[in-house]
Amino acid sequence: MTRDEIKDLILEIIEDIDEDAEFDNLDADAPLRDQLDLDSMDFLDIVMELRKRYKLQIPEEEYPELATLTSCVNYLEPKLKDV
Amino acid sequence: MADYQLIIIGGGLSGLAAGIRAARFGQRTLLLEQHSLPGGLNSYYFRHGHLLETGLHAMTNFARPADKRAPLNRLFRQLKLSRKRFVTREQFGSQIIFPGNRLAFSNDLSLLESEVAREFPRCRSSFSGLIRKIEDFDPFAPAPHRSARAFLHAQLDNPLLENMLLLPLMVYGNAEEHDMDLAQFTIMFRALFLEGFFRPEHTIREFLALLVDQYKGFGGELRLKTPVREILRYGDRVTGVRLADGEDIRAKAVLSTVGLPATAGLSGWKLDAEKYTGKMSFMETISLLPAKKSRELSRDRTIIFYSHDEDWDYRRPDRLIDSSWGVICFPENFQGIEAQKTMQLRVTHAADYHQWRQLDPSDYGAAKERCSQESRHMVGKIVGNYGQDIVYQDSFTPVTIERFTGKGEGAVYGSPIKIKDGRTPLQNLFIAGTDQGFLGIVGSMLSGVTIVNQHLLR
Repeated sequence: MTRDEIKDLILEIIEDIDEDAEFDNLDADAPLRDQLDLDSMDFLDIVMELRKRYKLQIPEEEYPELATLTSCVNYLEPKLKDV
Repeated sequence: MADYQLIIIGGGLSGLAAGIRAARFGQRTLLLEQHSLPGGLNSYYFRHGHLLETGLHAMTNFARPADKRAPLNRLFRQLKLSRKRFVTREQFGSQIIFPGNRLAFSNDLSLLESEVAREFPRCRSSFSGLIRKIEDFDPFAPAPHRSARAFLHAQLDNPLLENMLLLPLMVYGNAEEHDMDLAQFTIMFRALFLEGFFRPEHTIREFLALLVDQYKGFGGELRLKTPVREILRYGDRVTGVRLADGEDIRAKAVLSTVGLPATAGLSGWKLDAEKYTGKMSFMETISLLPAKKSRELSRDRTIIFYSHDEDWDYRRPDRLIDSSWGVICFPENFQGIEAQKTMQLRVTHAADYHQWRQLDPSDYGAAKERCSQESRHMVGKIVGNYGQDIVYQDSFTPVTIERFTGKGEGAVYGSPIKIKDGRTPLQNLFIAGTDQGFLGIVGSMLSGVTIVNQHLLR
């Protein structure tokens, strides 16, 4: 997957989790949680979706890597390079 | 090789919510319910051509869809149900009535604030202080039991106001007599006074169908009329369940929502059941009346919490029922509910399980009738007489509750001691539901969600 494809994937997963998610003014380098008003339970769902779709195991201590859209892309790029 | 990754015992709201979470992320899940209908404490039955709900007066935790952090909306996201398509009907307004004082409240906190200011002028600012403390409190941080009564008294220093606020919070979710854990108190205070009452658009039947459809849509399996006889063990692990008909089903993990004493009984772990069996149970009487009586009796109130005694206490009574206090609910009095030909009036009183249990079967019906009569008399003092207008009446007692829900001694709110992390002495056996500590419909569902998230998805 390219960086753009990973970005779209994350946004699609978030949209799937929250039917009201608004991405118009999303800052890729600011925490997703604050901008989208999501909580830790929602974040678990991003992890679970990645596991369900790509058999990707993300250990709990690495959850902070998913804080912003850019950090998500950086973190997932090597893991999804063959997808 | 296990037949399932997860077996859930109990198809009540916490079990259904847990099932949806597990199935949503691909776990092979089997949900076992002993009855022919799901719902557990919140189910329904038919009498006299009417669908009657067993538990639901109202749902608590009202929140508008835009309020993403609210428990109701978090729950819907977790279950992948559309909150926008879920139609909520808010309450008209409710009342707490004590001998010399009354407090009205609605889903707008400012009403309760102005009511407190009117009835208890000296508590006006301390009540605002109380609200701020409750808003800032973290009820989910691990902590020992703290007394809600001591906390309230330190804040308000007015025993009557303290009792008036405690009555609705306790009767809608407290397993402990007399006092309440501060964390539970905070959760209930937010659920009732800061968020408020609503009903789903239809009855509990449609709500349960929505959950069952979601669960099955994710591939979850549900077996009704399937009681569990035993949770199978190997050392300190469980390996599955044995059904009442003798069939064994293997699973990697088991989640029980049937309460601590029953779970311990099924799995043979030693537990002082007496300590973990709640003493608070209730008698509920549903009266059907001509709809034209509604205005006169309810005066547009949704729920009335009353006590004829200032020194009210929350205890198991020493007689069949204690009608000196109770809850009166008018389930049609929510915004946008269409009027029917008949109206319902539901009344709840604290009741003593043992006295009901000891009755000779031939006296049981007469005792129910006597208690209903006594109840009508005491409730009549609050809403006016209605006995002569009753079209149909049905009651259930602590014995009925025990028989249909498996809750020991009919303790609807479960054990006074909660196991907040859902763990048991057996490594892969977990509990969810009332004995995990979240209460109410939204709370019990969040309990199922949380336990699956914490122990079964990671």
